[in-house]
Amino acid sequence: MQPVKNDSNHIQDSDISKIVFIPDSVMYVLKNTCFDCHSNNTIYPWYSNVQPVGWLMARHIRKGREELNFSEFGSYSTRRQLSKLNGITNSINDDIMPLSSYKLMHKNSILSTYEKEMLIKWVQQASDSLSVKK
Amino acid sequence: MRILIFGLAIVATTLVVSKNTNKSPESLNLSISDQSISKTENANFMTSLVTDEENTGSIKEIVSAYLQMKNAFTEDNSTGAATAGKKLEAAFKNFDKSALTTDQKKTYEDVEADAREHAEHIGANGGNIAHQREHFEFLSKDIYDLIKTFGGGQVLYRDFDPMVNKGKGAYWISETKEIKNPYMGKAMLTSGTAKEEIK
Repeated sequence: MQPVKNDSNHIQDSDISKIVFIPDSVMYVLKNTCFDCHSNNTIYPWYSNVQPVGWLMARHIRKGREELNFSEFGSYSTRRQLSKLNGITNSINDDIMPLSSYKLMHKNSILSTYEKEMLIKWVQQASDSLSVKK
Repeated sequence: MRILIFGLAIVATTLVVSKNTNKSPESLNLSISDQSISKTENANFMTSLVTDEENTGSIKEIVSAYLQMKNAFTEDNSTGAATAGKKLEAAFKNFDKSALTTDQKKTYEDVEADAREHAEHIGANGGNIAHQREHFEFLSKDIYDLIKTFGGGQVLYRDFDPMVNKGKGAYWISETKEIKNPYMGKAMLTSGTAKEEIK
């Protein structure tokens, strides 16, 4: 029995890329570090079919999407979008994200100091552009 | 041994059966004419059953839980803040939306969707006060918007400390004129000023 997968390459109308500007360099990092758990465009590795790893992974993805789903960002109220962006900054600053277990299996998800600064700068710009809306 | 168990089983069965057969349909009848309670009391009772099932909470409960959380933070009490977080979650769940106009409902639901998540995080992170305080900043914005729209049910103050949050500053809502900083706690309890009085 396998957990249900949702790994389409389709970009929804509510995708964050349609809501705020994302430079290519930031998008690259988001894809490698965040999207597997925090979007509907998960890239499932071969071992996702092996239990119990598959179940653990499914749990991470489910909880990640519940917490923040970049694919559905446009469906959040502006208020909630701003809260989530702030959450991203805090998670990066506090080294909570990406998860240690994820970093173990995805070496290229580990954020360099430069990448952290870049993401936080982008979050600030995105928040500023959304605050004007509010 | 087996005889003893069998015997006990017989006794138990007999007791159960006899208990059931003693009940007659007539004795279960709660017709009003047979009772000493009045029709009004009976009607009130029935109404209270319906009311209890619906949400009857008000903004006051939300504000009260928020203030309890804020006060816990001023004392650096992470566990207390978590308890208040759970209380706040419950207050949101229990809130009575039926009396709201369509516009009011829209405002409320916009705030609630965000505030509830912050309350959940604060509730779930007892022991990690720094993380809780990060959420408290945004929760305070939500609560401010809520009381500006609906009133807080009491005189409240919007306080600000420009030093916290790496110099960005942060707001909170207080029920006292006296400044007690929930972001700094005992380290800098009186840091901040009241920016607005909300009646």
